[in-house]
Amino acid sequence: MSTRFDDRRPTELEDKAHAEAVRHFAEQLRQFPASRSAIDRLERDIAKIGLAANMAASKPTRTGSVIQADDGADWHKSVELMENIFLCHRPITGGAEYAVVEHFPARGTNEIWNRGGNAAEVLRMFAQEQRQALLVWTEDMSAQVKEFLAEKFPGQDMSRVADSFMHRLTRAGSQQQSQSDGQKHSRGVSI
Amino acid sequence: METIPKNNEQPNPTQPAPADRLAYSVQEAADLLGVNYFSIYRLIQRGKLKVCRALRGKLLVPRSELLKLLEPK
Repeated sequence: MSTRFDDRRPTELEDKAHAEAVRHFAEQLRQFPASRSAIDRLERDIAKIGLAANMAASKPTRTGSVIQADDGADWHKSVELMENIFLCHRPITGGAEYAVVEHFPARGTNEIWNRGGNAAEVLRMFAQEQRQALLVWTEDMSAQVKEFLAEKFPGQDMSRVADSFMHRLTRAGSQQQSQSDGQKHSRGVSI
Repeated sequence: METIPKNNEQPNPTQPAPADRLAYSVQEAADLLGVNYFSIYRLIQRGKLKVCRALRGKLLVPRSELLKLLEPK
């Protein structure tokens, strides 16, 4: 039977360590797959979202609520891409300009991430950067889990536990989290 | 303003209070700013939030960077 450690059954200590890591990083295990799913959806729907933004921008009466971004210009919200992140447009001479704008509640500011004359291209650039940010998150999580395990279980080799945890983190969501603890996890980390 | 509001944490006598620390984990930084974790990683990836690494490679957000982020432009 396959175990979450794949090559041999986990020891009792490894099981305990894994359960503790899952408990400790529960919020990350919730947020990471949700963020990755949002990027997956965005990448899948770039053409559709871009078209919707083009249509909104081409209407004589500009639609969507207006926000002021950090460039000082007024932007019309077209589509909410993620929590507090919007694809926006604004009229310019001879057409429209598009931007991905993030609202920061703590500062009350709206910051432009990407901008350009082609909505789909702006979205593609944004999606690409989100993938890179997800990679930064993955690397940081790997370091955090190793640190957590080293502090909780000093002197023990917890590498298989760390691998298993990272596999769970990066695979959860793509499998709809249908697998319960201790089932069918294999080793390796990927996004 | 120099004070970062504390989160709803139980006091731990072995660790300095969050407001006294020089740096925070990404999760702590997100909690302090009231944003999700991914927002912080996005800021790091864009270079808008400078971080350092602890010995095992974990990212740490200096307190000064968080305060800078909260400054009105």
